[in-house]
Amino acid sequence: MTPQLTAKPGTSAPAATGRTMPQSRPVPQNRKRWSTRSLRDFVVFLALALPNLLLIAVFTYLPLINNIYYSTLNWTLGSASAAVVGLENYVTFFTSADAGRVLRTTAVFTAATVGGSMVLGLLIALALNSKVRGTTFARSAVFAPYVLSGVGVGLVWLFIFDPGYGVLAWILRGVGQQSPQWINDPQLSLVMVIIVYVWKNLGYCAVVFLAGLQSLPQDVMEAASLDGAGSFRRFVSMSLPLLSPTTFFLLITTMLSSLQAFDLIRIMTPLGAGTSTLIYEAYLQAFGAYNRAGYSAAISVVLFVILLVITVLQLRFIEKKVHYS
Amino acid sequence: MTFTLDRRFFLTLAGAGAGAAALAACGGPSTTPGATAAAPADIDFSGVKPAASIDFWSNHPGKSQDVEKSIIEKFHAKYPDIKVNLVTAGANYEEIAQKFQTAQAAKSGLPSLVVLSDVWWFRYYLNESIIPIDSLVKQLDIKLADFRTSLVDDYKYAGKQWALPYGRSTPLFYYNKDHFAAAGLPDRAPATWQEFAGWAPKLKAASGAQYAFMHPALAGYAGWTLQNNLWGEGGSWSKGWDITCDSAESVAALQAAQDSVYKDSWAGVSSKESADDFAAGLASATLSSTGSLIGILKSAKFNVGVGFMPGGSKEKTGVCPTGGAGLGIPSGVTKEEQLAAAMFLQFMTEPENTAAFSAATGYMPTRTSADMTAVLAQTPQIKIAMDQLAVTKVQDNARAFLPGADQEMAKAAAKILTQEGDVKATMAELKATLQGIYTKDVKPKLKA
Repeated sequence: MTPQLTAKPGTSAPAATGRTMPQSRPVPQNRKRWSTRSLRDFVVFLALALPNLLLIAVFTYLPLINNIYYSTLNWTLGSASAAVVGLENYVTFFTSADAGRVLRTTAVFTAATVGGSMVLGLLIALALNSKVRGTTFARSAVFAPYVLSGVGVGLVWLFIFDPGYGVLAWILRGVGQQSPQWINDPQLSLVMVIIVYVWKNLGYCAVVFLAGLQSLPQDVMEAASLDGAGSFRRFVSMSLPLLSPTTFFLLITTMLSSLQAFDLIRIMTPLGAGTSTLIYEAYLQAFGAYNRAGYSAAISVVLFVILLVITVLQLRFIEKKVHYS
Repeated sequence: MTFTLDRRFFLTLAGAGAGAAALAACGGPSTTPGATAAAPADIDFSGVKPAASIDFWSNHPGKSQDVEKSIIEKFHAKYPDIKVNLVTAGANYEEIAQKFQTAQAAKSGLPSLVVLSDVWWFRYYLNESIIPIDSLVKQLDIKLADFRTSLVDDYKYAGKQWALPYGRSTPLFYYNKDHFAAAGLPDRAPATWQEFAGWAPKLKAASGAQYAFMHPALAGYAGWTLQNNLWGEGGSWSKGWDITCDSAESVAALQAAQDSVYKDSWAGVSSKESADDFAAGLASATLSSTGSLIGILKSAKFNVGVGFMPGGSKEKTGVCPTGGAGLGIPSGVTKEEQLAAAMFLQFMTEPENTAAFSAATGYMPTRTSADMTAVLAQTPQIKIAMDQLAVTKVQDNARAFLPGADQEMAKAAAKILTQEGDVKATMAELKATLQGIYTKDVKPKLKA
């Protein structure tokens, strides 16, 4: 995420860039010329953006508004009629045991998968950044799981974790141990899904971190090395701070992705026992066995608000600690 | 006027859009007062001509896609003016229900005939998603009296017939004859769970299998098979609409199940499908649907025995629940499509076709006049399942009629059987949940 250096008309270019910026001109002439251009640009902007904005409005914001309305109904999915209940669905959610359980599961899942993907991704990126044979193959191998179908990945890993005849159980039996009940024990189910999710997504973090590492200014790193800074010191004091734009970008994207994780949870734990995050609970309530569409809509609104708050907080506070140059 | 599409604005939009994308966009309901199900009325089909083409949604229970196709071909030969499109609408009863409910909400893309399981059809009735078929039964002269009474009566409510039985099943006790012989046990299913508890240590010692018995997978239909344990000890999930899962008898039954896993250590709990675990030799015995019979016989590399469901200390017989699926006609399609669907429904459930379906899957023949001679010659084990029908019992309302109850029962069973949770406390918690579902989601919709 390299920021673009821009200069407004009538200002000088920063000397450090060495670029030559347009000379400032008398304001009235300039304003007239820019007005014409602005109008033309605005028409072009509308022509290009309007279709997309319309699509977003129809397929994203209209459902969002509809959903907020549905969250005020006691509506059984499939039923042609519903009763308006105001905020009752929200009250039911926040006063039930579901809220604590689902929010806790969401927090644990998100923290573990974001943390796990980013830390392991960074470690792998550091390994891949070294100039040794086979790194090209290793990069492809690390990234491959990210592009695989979540359904396929879930099914394969289910076989690996199966306590009866799974690969892991077979290995454990070989050393005289019983396999844990990965699928039946809700706590272990969550651990299982987190492991698979991190495995599938760390390649994405690794590749983005690798790109970040390779764009670090080598002259500065070499200077630090000449000054006697060891590799750990260079990593902590120079690479990590310089990687902060990459880290910030990954933090936002992986967090949004984790909060919306669905396919692996659906395939590996269809009942959501122990793994019911906010989005999966919304799915289960509406499209699972319960058919409580209104209640599900209320949970979706809660998820939406949480995503919005997290994103705003990240932009307001964490971005301030990012070094862009 | 300036637009600054910078990173900050983009990420804000992305955050908002991401949350919004998680939200469903379905057709909305009417919010006019009165959510109670309307009194069912006979639909007049006189003068209606059957549609030229209908969709039949199936999940192909018991791997029945081939036999379904062959029955459809025979239907096309008999009724060349009606084309039946077989649609795979899910991999199991829950997926097909999900697709059907979603089509209902979207008010489009509905099938003319749909597979509906024992725990779903009542919801469709409450939501007025299916029609009563009484007038069609009369007009097409469908021989209801020839259906097995216990199976056809499952779909009667408010004086109307709402579906006909199709892939109907009961649980069966499956056992590994070789293991039983090695342990010196008689070649039969145990009469009671107490008897099996006496056999289990010998079985475990002699067979080399990991478990003497494998409890069915909880994510499957734990609430269904556990009725056997409950009924045997005089307990139940419910009596009528009264939730009784926390009664002393129910708690004792589930405590015995927990003891088989933890205290006595002769039973395991399947992670995915107990029929597969059993066929793979992981356990010497298990419970599974009759619909698993053909699959087990094909994949097991040992002699498979089947028997009635074991009784308990209080009830020795009448402890086997019915289950499986029926076929219903949606209310949201045209009368022409409904009539054509009823004609196909009649054809699907004719004696020779139910016999063919049974032979291919192991599900019960739904007609008493179905000639099963050839089927039984090929798969004699089906006879046990057919005989057991005489001692089956209608499922508890709580399991069959409360939306989501089956999942709540599965979660409670998981707590008891895989986390050694306190049985009494778990059942008390389940009772509160089930009562909440009844009060909020069912009671307001029941007619007085």
